Amino acid sequence: MIKNPSHPKKSIRKVKQCKFTKAGLEYIDYKDVDTLQRFTNDQGKILPRRVTGTSAKHQRQLTTAIKRARFLALMPYVAENLR
Amino acid sequence: MSKNQYEFTYIINPVFEEDQFKTVVEKVSKLITDNGGEIEEVEEWGSRKFAYEIDKKGTGYYVNMYFTAPATTIAAVEKVLRIDDDVMRYLTLKLDAKMLRHRELVKNNAVPDVFAVVEEEEAKEA
Repeated sequence: MIKNPSHPKKSIRKVKQCKFTKAGLEYIDYKDVDTLQRFTNDQGKILPRRVTGTSAKHQRQLTTAIKRARFLALMPYVAENLR
Repeated sequence: MSKNQYEFTYIINPVFEEDQFKTVVEKVSKLITDNGGEIEEVEEWGSRKFAYEIDKKGTGYYVNMYFTAPATTIAAVEKVLRIDDDVMRYLTLKLDAKMLRHRELVKNNAVPDVFAVVEEEEAKEA
């Protein structure tokens, strides 16, 4: 698919971009739970970079922010329905 | 001695009555000032539901504050709060340059919304 330039799926492939870089955000706040929640799956796990397209720099910040939010019980470690 | 800026969030035990939370907030603020800290801002988030149970409790009273203090203050304050049953959890963060700039943005209400930009583009594409 990658090698074949005429493959129909090739044109659909979307280039992922870091949302934080795009917004020009420098620091990811642990208090901003709504944003952080969108980078976790329904189990409460942190989504990998290859899924969200976050830059390495921001992914590192994101993990610390999520872990801080978890410590203060703003976000779950494990989703309620799975416990 | 050089001073740092700190952000401090703590959760007060929900066993108290509404007006008693104020006394605990005052107690913690006094503890910080007594140890050489200067309080800049105290923001009470109020009672919030926990994402998971802490000590068999489902809610807690959140308080978020900013203060300037020498590094020795933190050790002294945390030593007391570790034993204190009124405060269930606390998180102290030293503000670095990035966080200070971010705080200015928060103050001016100019924090860029991460998802607003994305949704705009998706609307354009559609």
